[in-house]
Amino acid sequence: MERIAIIDGIRTPFCKMGTSFNSLSAQELGRIAARELIERRGFDVRLIDEVIFGCVGQPAEAANIARVIALLAGVPKTTPAFTVHRNCASGIEAVVSAALKIQAGEGSCMLVGGAESMSNIPFLFSKATQEIFTEVNRSKTFLARLAAFSKFRPRHFNPVIGLQLGLTDPVCGLNMGQTAEVLVQEFGLTRREQDQFSLDSHLKAVASKAILREEIVPVIPGLKYKEAVVDDNGPREGQSLEALAKLRPFFDRATGTVTAGNSSQVTDGAVALLVASESWARDRGLKPLGFIRAFSYAGVEPARMGIAPAHAIPKVLKKAGLKLSDMKAVELNEAFAAQVLACLKALASEGFAKEFGYEGYTGAIDPARLNVHGGAIALGHPVGSTGARLILTMLKHLNRENLDLGLVSLCIGGGQGAAVILEKGGAS
Amino acid sequence: MALIYKEENNIATITFDQPDSRANVLGTAILLELDKILDQLNNPSSLKAIVIQSAKKDIFIAGADIKEIESITDAAEGKTKSQAGQRILNKLEDLPVPTIAVIDGAALGGGCELALACRYRIATFNDKVRIGLPEVNLGFVPGFGGTWRLPRLVGLQGALKLILSGAPVDGRAALKMGLIDRLYSRVGLADRVAEFVNEINASGKRRRYPVVRPKGFNAFLENTAIGRNFIFSKSKESVLKASRGFYPAPLSALDVVSRTRGLSRRAAMDIESSAFAELAVTPVSKNLVSLYYLTEKFKKLSVPGAEGVKPAAVSKAGVIGAGIMGGGIAQLLSNRGVRVRLKDINHDAIAKGLKAAYDVYKQAIKRRRMKPADVAVGMAMISGTLDHSGFSDADIVIEAVVENMDIKKKVFEEVARHVPDRTILASNTSSLSLTEMGRGVKDPSRIIGFHFFNPVHRMPLIEIITTGQTSQATIAGTLEFAKRLGKTPILVKDAPGFLVNRILLAYINEAGHLLQEGGDIERLDKVVTDFGMPMGPFLLSDEVGLDVGVKVLHILEAGLGPRFKSSKIFDEVFALKLLGKKSGRGFYIHGPRRRVNPAVQALIKASSAVSDKEALERMLYIMINEAARILEEGVVDGPDTVDIGMIMGTGFPPFRGGLLRYADTLGVERIVDDLNRLEERFKDGRFKPARFLLDMKARNTRFYA
Repeated sequence: MERIAIIDGIRTPFCKMGTSFNSLSAQELGRIAARELIERRGFDVRLIDEVIFGCVGQPAEAANIARVIALLAGVPKTTPAFTVHRNCASGIEAVVSAALKIQAGEGSCMLVGGAESMSNIPFLFSKATQEIFTEVNRSKTFLARLAAFSKFRPRHFNPVIGLQLGLTDPVCGLNMGQTAEVLVQEFGLTRREQDQFSLDSHLKAVASKAILREEIVPVIPGLKYKEAVVDDNGPREGQSLEALAKLRPFFDRATGTVTAGNSSQVTDGAVALLVASESWARDRGLKPLGFIRAFSYAGVEPARMGIAPAHAIPKVLKKAGLKLSDMKAVELNEAFAAQVLACLKALASEGFAKEFGYEGYTGAIDPARLNVHGGAIALGHPVGSTGARLILTMLKHLNRENLDLGLVSLCIGGGQGAAVILEKGGAS
Repeated sequence: MALIYKEENNIATITFDQPDSRANVLGTAILLELDKILDQLNNPSSLKAIVIQSAKKDIFIAGADIKEIESITDAAEGKTKSQAGQRILNKLEDLPVPTIAVIDGAALGGGCELALACRYRIATFNDKVRIGLPEVNLGFVPGFGGTWRLPRLVGLQGALKLILSGAPVDGRAALKMGLIDRLYSRVGLADRVAEFVNEINASGKRRRYPVVRPKGFNAFLENTAIGRNFIFSKSKESVLKASRGFYPAPLSALDVVSRTRGLSRRAAMDIESSAFAELAVTPVSKNLVSLYYLTEKFKKLSVPGAEGVKPAAVSKAGVIGAGIMGGGIAQLLSNRGVRVRLKDINHDAIAKGLKAAYDVYKQAIKRRRMKPADVAVGMAMISGTLDHSGFSDADIVIEAVVENMDIKKKVFEEVARHVPDRTILASNTSSLSLTEMGRGVKDPSRIIGFHFFNPVHRMPLIEIITTGQTSQATIAGTLEFAKRLGKTPILVKDAPGFLVNRILLAYINEAGHLLQEGGDIERLDKVVTDFGMPMGPFLLSDEVGLDVGVKVLHILEAGLGPRFKSSKIFDEVFALKLLGKKSGRGFYIHGPRRRVNPAVQALIKASSAVSDKEALERMLYIMINEAARILEEGVVDGPDTVDIGMIMGTGFPPFRGGLLRYADTLGVERIVDDLNRLEERFKDGRFKPARFLLDMKARNTRFYA
């Protein structure tokens, strides 16, 4: 089957919720990334067969956000678009969907990516409140309306926070942080090793500022248009272990170890990638950033969702016929330090490999190859965009360092893991 | 024959289809044809309805025949013409059968009045539907009964809005105000109309006016004498404010509506036709009519010798320089569906450009001209860049960087390497030489001037500057683009100051001389606004910025000679860094309440001020003289280009018909004599009559034959 090429990609800076991108909708962020990619490549938009974007908190005012992004970015109205949702892997799902469609002959070139504005995930009313509002609206007389109105109590105006709902597993009832605590207990992880991992993430991200600019389009947020945001604003210069140690556990105040400091940041941002079949790209003289070698998804208990990469990784390696040691670089998304550490432990454990029949496809990951530019703990995790960001960052890294193979993996709320093996483009 | 009469199933249709024309125009001949059809109606009571429609695309009836009105030279003739139309439309109104106007496009002026004389009006969901009475824009009032029928139909407020502004309404607004009875899809229109005929025949009710009954406070305003007086006095206030007393038509229209309210049709029609006739023969009206023709001509401007060339549409533009002009240009383009790549040297500059663009959009939202979603789409058309990425598919590049020849040359040199060969390279320079600017570019045939006026979204003129090397294709493409942007283009040859700024600066500089001689800032400004200009020379200078003005004067002096040597006062004020509005102080101190800057007035020591009349003459003569030089040098092709340029580029009073049309009313003899007299006095050459004027005098000709 033909290889799928990632021709190029670009992303907006990632900005913490409620900061620089507070006023930008997810579709606007997606539009900026998509348009800039088209502009920088001088890409003929008529060549795009479909637009696919991942988004988790899909805005109520932009149903099928991929279509909205496509139209605002200047993709012809005759080009179809659809939105995908696989929680934290939505950005990967967009790439994978494009790959599958292209391989099935449903198009040759697609504009894909992820867009997320966690600043703009709405507050909701409770069902009880909604019912009173409905009754008020349906009341025909003034008296009936008054009667309906009189049912309101202060508690009815307590909002339900959409973001919180989204980050809580509806099946096991735990929120994502609590699932990390489950792994902390299972793997005996310490607070200190989580904090140390997080500190490293910040240090690496701060050191990579110039490198990351290669994949970032500066954004001048409207409607104030005051100044350009050039870098991710998550990485903290001067972050110290002491400062991290001072934070209180966020999800389990009494016995927990997962803090805001050793968890990924809630962030706004978007990524756009151009995906095409290898031959199509070659025919047009395009030099792709790289190729998708293989991808896999795996499922685990929702309460242990953070461990899922440890299952997806051997699965994809087996599919590709490669070993973990073949991976010259690894991006393992940092939803929580605990969850990454748990995955590393599991992958390094022979017992784990034996238990699940992964022998030959697991092993220890060299820390020098892991998340070399920092991860979501420092850079932030705009959930629907991260998957695409990992692919972009990895491909840029492979090209920069002239490495042949890289692995991208992330855990997915609801108990899933995704893993993608990428190959460097160019001469190969 | 322009009218086709048919009867089918007891429904008569009269179809307007003027031969050899894209539009129907309600001239005498066509009206008489209608009269004849109405007279020959055989037992009209047997008909269920008479439907009046048009065979023209997007046009019902575009208006009365302006040529006929233009040719009216005395009021009695005008009154007769108006009465003839009134009589025929009265006949239409008095038919015992329901009459229905089916409007699928423009129903303006006389066309609207004809529709008003029908018992019912139906329009379609065609975007081109425009119904209104634009007569005041041509300096007269509706003369076919419109001033009497419209208030009856839609109430005073709605009627005055249409009549006094001259602005038409679309189908939805017309329905809402009761101007039309139904709005239908164009598909299956004939069936809908037939159904409508059955409906009105079945109901058998008499029409009541107004169709939409006012409610609440509006009912008080419309239905009581106090309310109506309030409406009239408020309308008068706003008419006086808008027309500044220069345009008699709106005031007269208001007078007609207020005097004819409640009168019999016969009496009302008499008042209306008298007012029409009086106004139609005024010079103001004649000037506005000729300006109307001029505008139409320039809207259709084509390149001499390349009329057949159909240039490719511009869909992508690079704009270099994200200042006020660059941002404004980006906004205009984005609003017209052109994608813009906005380049500047740092992000802060781009942020300013985006802000400038958004501010224009924000105003449009505030004035309810645009919806926030449309603005989001517009702003999404603009993206910023620090390099030339995104220029590889640009159809046109417009540079709007700082007015510095070296920088502009470098900009063109660089950009030429990043765009395809077909890309038009346009400069928004207001005064620099395009020929010089193109020297570094391999193919100077793509270089052209595309001079917008500030504020870009509001000023209707674009000067298109051609050099000896600019290709026909480049000119044709640029011209087409200007039209697409909704601007009126004029073609100007590359010469210092081009057309508008050259004439304008001559005049502003002369104002400076007048001030220097002991004039008064406010008084000189008033002389000019009393003449009808939108603002005086010193306020204008403050708006533009003295630095810009002085700089352009230096360029003009270098290129055209010492007559453009800046007056001493400008140099002094510039040296004091009193740049005008941008620095808060100039000739005026700007703020919530603008006042003259006493520091500037105090600089004036001389006290040999001339009379207001002579001051105005000097400012006008220097403009006329400069315009004559421009014609002499062949910078533009004729006096109409000068006039449209000055009216649309500087707000030269439209009711005066334009600078050179106004000069014709003065007569060349007087102008030359006065210029000679002034030259005798100042002896510095700035009033030396242009050879063009001397030739005109010798041959006793006018600018307009």
